[in-house]
Amino acid sequence: MSELEHLLVTEEDLDDKEQIIDQLMHEYSDDILHLVYTYVKNRVVAEDLTQEIFIKCYEKLDQFTRRSAIKTWAYRIACNHCKDYLRSWHYRKITLNEKILDYFPSKSVHVEEEIIAKNEEESLTQAVMNLPVKYREAVFLHYYEELPLAEISKVTSVNINTVKTRLKRAKELLKDMLIKEG
Amino acid sequence: MDNRFNNLKKAMKQTAFNDLTFSSERKDAVKEAIKGKQSQLNLHSWKESTIIAVLETVQRESKHGYAISTLLFQKNEFCFQNNEGQLYTLLHLLENKEILSSKWINEKKYYSLTTRGKKYVAAYKQGSTKKLLSLKHLMEEASL
Repeated sequence: MSELEHLLVTEEDLDDKEQIIDQLMHEYSDDILHLVYTYVKNRVVAEDLTQEIFIKCYEKLDQFTRRSAIKTWAYRIACNHCKDYLRSWHYRKITLNEKILDYFPSKSVHVEEEIIAKNEEESLTQAVMNLPVKYREAVFLHYYEELPLAEISKVTSVNINTVKTRLKRAKELLKDMLIKEG
Repeated sequence: MDNRFNNLKKAMKQTAFNDLTFSSERKDAVKEAIKGKQSQLNLHSWKESTIIAVLETVQRESKHGYAISTLLFQKNEFCFQNNEGQLYTLLHLLENKEILSSKWINEKKYYSLTTRGKKYVAAYKQGSTKKLLSLKHLMEEASL
């Protein structure tokens, strides 16, 4: 019944909850925003989603069991929220349509970017952002956030061995992409 | 090649994430939303007995909303009389809190107790003050 005991909280805790979210935003909001951007590749959408994620954290704070670090817990909420978004009707119908438009030569901002993207940093980033989402999340959490594999497994709800395999595969994909680019 | 990956953090910081920060306006918007949720809290908080009455209606088998509402009247729980919408709000919230789970059968939504929900009912029946407190909290939570 530890869960029930954990729920033994009084009204005063509401202020605490607000403070916890404040703290969470103060410490991790940029990291979470970057994580979200890695999924959605759009700055405004990333900001909107991040806002929603912190509200969700507030709503779900009672379910936080302290078995993991609050950072891991918040990242997990963020990951799930992003995946929900990518699966959503809005994203699939509206955003994807816009994306298809982008492929027309007249709107080829991306093509231009690709040509300009000569320096190493840009081509590496671009290669990462072009990875399929399951590899992209693993690469971001491993190389950018530098989370241990066990954490990545917790955050993404993916088995640790699968994480390893995905990282390996991601590296191969990245190598191919970068070699093709020359 | 691996050197290049070690460079990845720096590379992404300089390019994709350049100037990408969660602005203070955005943070304020989150705080506003939380404040809004807290004030809602007082608007509708359900009586403990009402929540338990609802949970008890689905204790033995899953039921759809209208059946729950009828059963509540039979149990002399008139909280939702002429205000059935509130029942659905409560059901929905309890579902969100994973106290209830639901299933669609023949275009009707059937609710049943989750393990967590059963714990609450059991705790309420035992009636220790500690557990009553937890239920009180659940209600506060439920109205979020």
